[in-house]
This record gives sequence, C-alpha cells and structure tokens, in this order.
Amino acid sequence: MKIRGVFSMSIINRLKSLFKEEKDFEEKDVQEEISKDVNSESSDFDDTVVSGTKTSVPISDVLKKEKSSTATIELKFKKEVRSIEEESVEETLPIIEEDEPSNNEEIPKEAEEDLAEESLDVEENTSSDEEDVNTDDEVESTEKVDEDKKEKENKERDNMTLLTDKELLTDANRDPEFTAEFIDAGIETVKHCFQCGTCGGGCPSGRRTPYKVRQIVRKCLLGLKEDVITDDALWMCTTCYTCQERCPRSVKIVEIIKKARNVAAHAGYMAKPHKMTGVFVINTGHGVPINDAAKALRTKIGLSEVPATTHADAGALEEVQKLCKLTAFDELIGYDEATGGLKE
Amino acid sequence: MEIAYFLGCIMPNRYPGIEKATRILFEALDIELKDMNGASCCPAPGVFGSFDEETWATIAARNLTLAEDMGADIMTECNGCFGSLFEANHMLKEDEDKRAKINENLSEIGREFKGTTNVKHLAQILRDDIGFEKISSLIEKPLDLNVAVHYGCHFLKPTDEIGIEEQAENPTILDELVELTGAKSIDYKDKMMCCGAGGGVRSRDLDVTASYTKEKLDNMSKAGVDAIIDVCPFCHMQFDQGQTEVNERYGTDFSIPVFHLAQLYGLAMGLSAEDLTLDAQKIDAAPALAKALGENAK
Repeated sequence: MKIRGVFSMSIINRLKSLFKEEKDFEEKDVQEEISKDVNSESSDFDDTVVSGTKTSVPISDVLKKEKSSTATIELKFKKEVRSIEEESVEETLPIIEEDEPSNNEEIPKEAEEDLAEESLDVEENTSSDEEDVNTDDEVESTEKVDEDKKEKENKERDNMTLLTDKELLTDANRDPEFTAEFIDAGIETVKHCFQCGTCGGGCPSGRRTPYKVRQIVRKCLLGLKEDVITDDALWMCTTCYTCQERCPRSVKIVEIIKKARNVAAHAGYMAKPHKMTGVFVINTGHGVPINDAAKALRTKIGLSEVPATTHADAGALEEVQKLCKLTAFDELIGYDEATGGLKE
Repeated sequence: MEIAYFLGCIMPNRYPGIEKATRILFEALDIELKDMNGASCCPAPGVFGSFDEETWATIAARNLTLAEDMGADIMTECNGCFGSLFEANHMLKEDEDKRAKINENLSEIGREFKGTTNVKHLAQILRDDIGFEKISSLIEKPLDLNVAVHYGCHFLKPTDEIGIEEQAENPTILDELVELTGAKSIDYKDKMMCCGAGGGVRSRDLDVTASYTKEKLDNMSKAGVDAIIDVCPFCHMQFDQGQTEVNERYGTDFSIPVFHLAQLYGLAMGLSAEDLTLDAQKIDAAPALAKALGENAK
C-alpha cells in the first residue's frame, strides 16, 4: 500500500510538472485521480508484470537466473515500472483535461463502471500486488513468487473469489439513490475512499468472518444496494472503529456501515434477536431489563430494588414508547402492542 | 460538584456491584452523583443505531434532556452508553437540521434538546476533574495484582470527536488509573482489540463474538495476568459470561476474573467481594482477591 501510494504521488507530481500547474490539489481531485491511476496501474500490473497469478514469467525468470544479484533485479524491475508509469501518464492525460476545470465533477460514469468491475477484480490480488512491487527484499519476492505459484495451482479449487462471470456487475446493478443516501446523511467521505485496504487490514471481524469492509465501502459508493443490504456479513461489524482510526483518508467508515444497515433494516433485513432488543426497550425502556436475580443482588448490597430509571417510572416509560411510535420504530421491527412481542 | 449519573442497562440490571462501588467512590471524593430519574437505555447503538438513526438519536436526546434539566454534566461508566450519548450530543449540537427534526419528535413529550450538557466517561472524570493525587489518597489496601487492561472501543474512538486521548491506539489513561491501586498493568498482544460483543454481533452471532473473546483471552493468558480490568459493563459481561461461552465452545479452561475499574477501586478502598457483587459473577474472583489483598501471606 505504501508503495502504491508513492507511485500514485509520483505520477501526480509528474503530471504537475507536465502541466506546470502549481495550484493545490484539492482532496477531491487527488482522490479521483489517484483512484484512476491506481486503477489503471493495478490492471497493468496484473496483466503484464507483477501479478503472479497471470503472467509472472518476467519476475520469476529473473529471480531464478540471478538469485544472488538483487541490484540487477532492481534495475530491471525499475525499468519495467517506469514504462508502466509512462503508460499511466498517457492514459491519465485526457482525464486530467476533463477534470481540471471543475473541482466538483463526479467521476465519469463509464470510468466509474470500470472501477466497479476492476475494484472487484483487484480484490484477491491487492496484497500480492503491493508486496510484489517491493524489490528491495529478494527473499520476500522469491517467497512471494512461490506463494503465487501455489495460488495459481489452487485457483481451480478457489471458491472464494468474487470474480465469476455470473456475478459480473453492470450499470443495471447500480442504484444511484443508494449512494445519495450516504451523501444526504452527511457521510460525504464515502467518496474519499481510494480502496487502499488499510481498513480491512486491521479489521478483527474480517479475520474471522466474510465481512470485507473495504468492499462494502466501495459497493456503497457505487450504489450496489442489493449486494450490500442482502449480505449478512454487513452485520458482522462490532463497530470497533479500528478501520476508521487508521483510514488515511479519514473516511467515516463506521458511519457508512451503520447507514448501510439502516437501509437494510428498512428493507426488511433484520435479525430476530436484534428486533427483540428493540422489543425489550419498548416494553421496559431497557435493552437489558432487570430480572429477579439482579433485584435480589441490588437489595442485598443496599441499592434500591430497581434502578431509578424507566423501571421505576411509568410516565418515563410512556415517553419512550411514544417516541418509538412517533419514529415508527415499532412498525419497523414489527412490534405487536397487543402481545408485547413480535407480530411474526 | 454535581454529576448526572447515567446508569444504562447492564450495570444496574446485571452487575449492580459496579454501581455500588461507584457511589461509594464518589461519596469519598465528595462529589454528588444525582440520579437521572426516568432515564432509559442509551439506546443500544448496535440495534437502534443500526436500524434507525432517527429513533436512536431521539431516545438518546431524551436522556440528554434529563441532564439538561438537572443543569449537570452526564457521567456514564459504560463505553456503549458513552458512545451513544456522546455521539448523539455531538451530532445534535453540530447538525441543525437533525436537531430540528429530533426536537420536533421531543416536543410531542414536552421536551427540547438545548445542547447544554456534556457527556463524560467515568475514567475521564477521574483523570481530568479529580486527578490522580486525590484518588491515590483514598487507596487503603494497595493491590498486589497483575492485570490486563481492556479499553474497549467506544471509550476513546473515534478520536477526532471524543479526544480523551490523542492516540486511541496507544492510550495510557486506564493503565495510569489502574496502577494508582498498586496493581500492575501488563502489556499483552492486541491489547486494543475489541471484546467482540458490540455492534449487535453478540445477540446475532454468539460464535463470532466468542471467537473474538477467545483471541483476547489467549493473549491475556500468555501475558500471565491475574485479572481483567474494563470500563464497560458490556465488555465486562462479555469477559465474564462470555468466558464461560468460550470455554464451552473451545474446550478451554479460562478462569480470569473480571473487575470493572470501579470495582477495582472498591477493592482498594476495602469493600468486600459481596459488596462489589463479585461473588455473583460467573468467573470465580476468590483466587485473585486472595493474591490482591495479600491474604496468602497472612
């Protein structure tokens, strides 16, 4: 990721000097251009030089022949990298011309569509791309190449990859109104994400569940509403904020997840235990209400039998119930006033 | 000094010893904890925050207005309540549109959010408003304990809004507060990791939550600690009850007792395990207590 960041910046610097533009690169510009650059780079890398899963011949050949000579590898590799940089610059030129006059211009639709496909494409390879660029450490590269070989061998059995033909995404999958919900809710930073993967790298849920925070953020920006809200993994976030703390673009990631959950809940995707917590609050004012054991404990240590909350104040509880009706929370969870439980 | 004392759900309704210890501690500090009569659930961010932001903010705002009426700042000793109330307070102070919408709802029950209270965490008040020196003066029985401090998530993060610590991934506030009692905070791997209970995950998928907790318990055990110290009754429940769930699922035999910071101070001030309802917790605290109070040496 670090390497990629340096790359992107160097391209931008080159562009800067090309155009003799000294003006500040506003966040949005940088963000858009970086994502485009990263995007075109990564696809170039995948196809030509870096990715072991496709054509890793150049690196592995060099490594086999000249295992002891790091310098040579580095030279050769740098040369290739340079040519990629130049390609990227050429590709980026027209985009810059388009974007320069207006700072607020949205990502052009077709480019965005490309992003959609390619960002998913990159999913499996992100980490290997990044590590492969690191030519300073020969051993690491060699290990990586070995790993990539193994990965290639395992590819046929790999049912984890998201890139299968039947799942190819098109404009028809996109719902711009879904993206607008995040912007309207004040989470404009959803647009700042350049998919570096820092979020997923530190995510404790991603280490044990199918929750892929980076991908969800991407899907929210692209408007892939159905993908996002129907996926149970959306609910595997403990809202620990590790991703948000580490995000180099200050994206309000946890807000994005909570907003996406709001949309999912309103579309009917709610787990029963969650609805039940809502039921407890409507019935008692507490998500975890008092029980007999706790009453006995409280009395034993000299506290009031029930706390001075809605538990001890019927009027206060009515207020909470009225508010839940007012915001239609009772309807949202399917609360049945007659039984004090769920309708279903 | 007066403080509006927000109880939340899990502390008063499952671990009342934490409430008892807090009341005694603040009496000794000569600070009045005023009950927020009629307060409700914060409400739980994992359900209300994840289902409907408007409902979440409205119920949180109702709780905030109770403290506004009392003319006092709020203290909570639950990270979840702190996160919910702090965030709602912050949001409604900053965002006029949302505030207008929420106040429209509150007007139906004759309330209005004015933005005149602040939401503080127990640990924050102890460090910033009371000070280490005064707390140290209350310690009667220095505790001989090696502990794993668990910060939890919503106490310090998001840093840019809460600002209790500048660097939430390398904080010191709890370690310092814990060590005032004589206990030693032992570093352990992935100390800042979540307990696994939050965000509605515990109620939805206990296996996932238990897997988090097991990772934490593994790391704490390797560091060789006598007890876990937390500042959140939900984390507390996760390490206490959750520890038995981990043992059931993984065939492990973890038995690290769990103390909320307030309970730790209670011990250092000479309160009994019964007063602190430690005897009602799932994980037996007796061995750790014997070590802490030097009863083995007697």
